[in-house]
Amino acid sequence: MSYKFDFEFLAERWPDFVAGAWLTIQLTVLAIAFGFLVGTVCALARVYGGPVLRRLVGAYVETIRNTPLLIQIFIVYFGLSSLGLKLSAEVSAVLALTINMGAYTTEIMRAGIESVQRTQLEAADCLGLTRFQTMLHVVLLPAMERVYPSLASQGVLLMLASSITSQISAEELTATANLVQSDTYRSFEVYVIVAVVYLALSALYRLGFWAISLILFERRRRLGTPL
Amino acid sequence: MKKRTLLRLVAGAALVPSFGLSAHADTLDEIKKAGKIRVAIDTAIPPFGMTDDKMQPTGSDVDLARLLAKDLGVQLEIVTTTGPSRIPMLQTNKADIVVSTLSITPDRAKVIDFSVPYADHPSVVAGLKTLQIKQLSDLDGKKIAVVRGTTQDTDLTQKAKGAQLVRYEDDATMALAVASGQVDLLATARSLLPAISKKNPARTVEPKITMQTNWLAIGVRKDEPKLLAWVNDWVKTNLKNGKLAAIYKQYHGVDIPTDELLAKTGS
Repeated sequence: MSYKFDFEFLAERWPDFVAGAWLTIQLTVLAIAFGFLVGTVCALARVYGGPVLRRLVGAYVETIRNTPLLIQIFIVYFGLSSLGLKLSAEVSAVLALTINMGAYTTEIMRAGIESVQRTQLEAADCLGLTRFQTMLHVVLLPAMERVYPSLASQGVLLMLASSITSQISAEELTATANLVQSDTYRSFEVYVIVAVVYLALSALYRLGFWAISLILFERRRRLGTPL
Repeated sequence: MKKRTLLRLVAGAALVPSFGLSAHADTLDEIKKAGKIRVAIDTAIPPFGMTDDKMQPTGSDVDLARLLAKDLGVQLEIVTTTGPSRIPMLQTNKADIVVSTLSITPDRAKVIDFSVPYADHPSVVAGLKTLQIKQLSDLDGKKIAVVRGTTQDTDLTQKAKGAQLVRYEDDATMALAVASGQVDLLATARSLLPAISKKNPARTVEPKITMQTNWLAIGVRKDEPKLLAWVNDWVKTNLKNGKLAAIYKQYHGVDIPTDELLAKTGS
């Protein structure tokens, strides 16, 4: 069977794709940022918190990591709405993606925090660093530096996974593809275009993570050696 | 391997005298040769396509496909599909025909062929009983749920520019959005309203505006004159003998306008 590619619709519909990609970026950058905050706080709670707090965080992490993202999104969007809390599709998407990102980040950051040796904390104590200074400079930043590749990958994974928020009518990139496809019937072409856009977004996100790493990890920037 | 090649040669030779050297395979012949017809049906549009309590496909489109396969003398293979992927299924040869609440539209007719219509299909804007909606201009600034890529989506995008369309992937998700209170208005087929109201009786919806009456037809790939002719004859025969009307009545509780449909088929 011979198939004739026809990208003519692109001349008219490219603003739709740009709008879709822009919403994907907005949704996922917010979710990655909030998810990172949630995950870091939860990781600290899981390592240093009391038994009750540790179990609570553990339950959160296991629940989210062992249920499908689509179900989590449906619960936030349809479930909360049934209870009377009406969130728009976009807000629901950010909320659900944040909750999801938070759980994975918790485990990644926990691994980093646990990799900081006791002797480092003792040295910080000897140098007279305050509790806050110790947390920031001796625990969190080195921990983050060690697990940074995993964090960056998780961020990119979340961006790709955000495509299923099209199911709750968030008009992001995949939803745009479905819409254009259903108008033009050029399904193959549309999904090829969207795949390329996602590929470009992934590259953009990795570039972004790399730039952030340059700003955050001063020691590595100066010495150029891994921790 | 050898046997199959031989069979193909024989089958090919048999075709030559009646049709000359045809450049591409004919789907009707392929269906008969395979002994089965692949029919794309969306099983998430009650009462056209749905699953019963034993998880078996059922509904008026499913029964129609069963009857069609029986009359053609082949097995029925149901290829489940969704609204947006119905036509791509046909274009990419994942199905032989589409029987999936497919309304005839000029846009669609550019890429696939339609049989003569087998049922009517009015689409409406419906909403909660408490809402005062009389005409399309009443929809300005309101959120209306639609299924992406349906005729209601296309229609409202053009006619109700002031309204905010909220697009879902299938009827089930749209119905859930209405039942859970995400939206109070929706544009859909009239046939769907009872099922949506049943999900949450406190949020029963009623038809507000009839947008247009569509005509449902069986979708066939382009350039399949033999298959299309057979399907057309089959629809006409079963409209006349009342079998299609009986299927529709059983699942929808309303009669199809048989006379009007027959008038449209030109017989």
